[in-house]
Amino acid sequence: MNTRLLMVMHVNVAPPLNIGAVPYGSRRLAPLSGGTFEGPRLRGTILSGSSADWLLLRSDGVLELDLRCTLRTDDGALILMRSFGLRHGPPEVIAAIGRGETVDPSSYYFRTTPRFETAHPMYSFLNRMIAVASGDRRPEGPIYSIHEVL
Amino acid sequence: MSLPINTRPLMVLRLATSATQEIGSTPQGTLTIFPVVGGSFEGDRLRGKVLAAGGDWVNTRADGTFTLDLRVTLETDDGSLIHMTFSGLRDDANHYFRTVPRFETAAPKYAFLNRLLAVGIGEIRSDGPVHVIEEVL
Repeated sequence: MNTRLLMVMHVNVAPPLNIGAVPYGSRRLAPLSGGTFEGPRLRGTILSGSSADWLLLRSDGVLELDLRCTLRTDDGALILMRSFGLRHGPPEVIAAIGRGETVDPSSYYFRTTPRFETAHPMYSFLNRMIAVASGDRRPEGPIYSIHEVL
Repeated sequence: MSLPINTRPLMVLRLATSATQEIGSTPQGTLTIFPVVGGSFEGDRLRGKVLAAGGDWVNTRADGTFTLDLRVTLETDDGSLIHMTFSGLRDDANHYFRTVPRFETAAPKYAFLNRLLAVGIGEIRSDGPVHVIEEVL
């Protein structure tokens, strides 16, 4: 599988809302308070207020991520990004992340599959792309290395 | 500083489809349903057949690309059932056909499928679609 780097995204997460035990698992909502993204073909900021990650901790210990966020490029284009992801790993690593520690991103599995929608002609290539991201959960929020699947 | 993406082969999926059902132009686009009536899958860690009663809901968008929404049931050669879905994107103008499969199973032997993300490269052949699916490591 060939990929190339699309952008690195630094996400800032606000304190989560704990929805609690739902029929599918344990549900939390993590609003995004902002962030930035930068790559060879696009760069800009993440808009707060229209961006959040709906987290579901399943009974098998896997965390499902369901992110929706609005990106604004440095030249004013708006881009909707949606991504489904999975995060899991050894209990001690997941516990350390829960305590707000920075851990080696290779010690756990944190991958997402972003999709994009935009009306801006300059960024319409994003509408026709499948992408895969590696995540690195930092205390202030995740850093995603997003790669285009070629 | 960016993290890499690595993949490894998971399976090659071959689908047998019957006559398409043309739903036609709807408020969401132009919908065509490809009923899946069978097929096979094979990889180092799993192999078996695709059961009938699945399909791919393909929407033609205004930009001429297709979005895919597939659901099928896989039956492994040792009798386990695996629910597989994918969303995907087909852009014939750019020879681009990629999918993002997901799996759901209760079989302990195949529980690793519940915990992985995957990416597929699709191809339409004369005898039906073939998807080369890799696990995202």
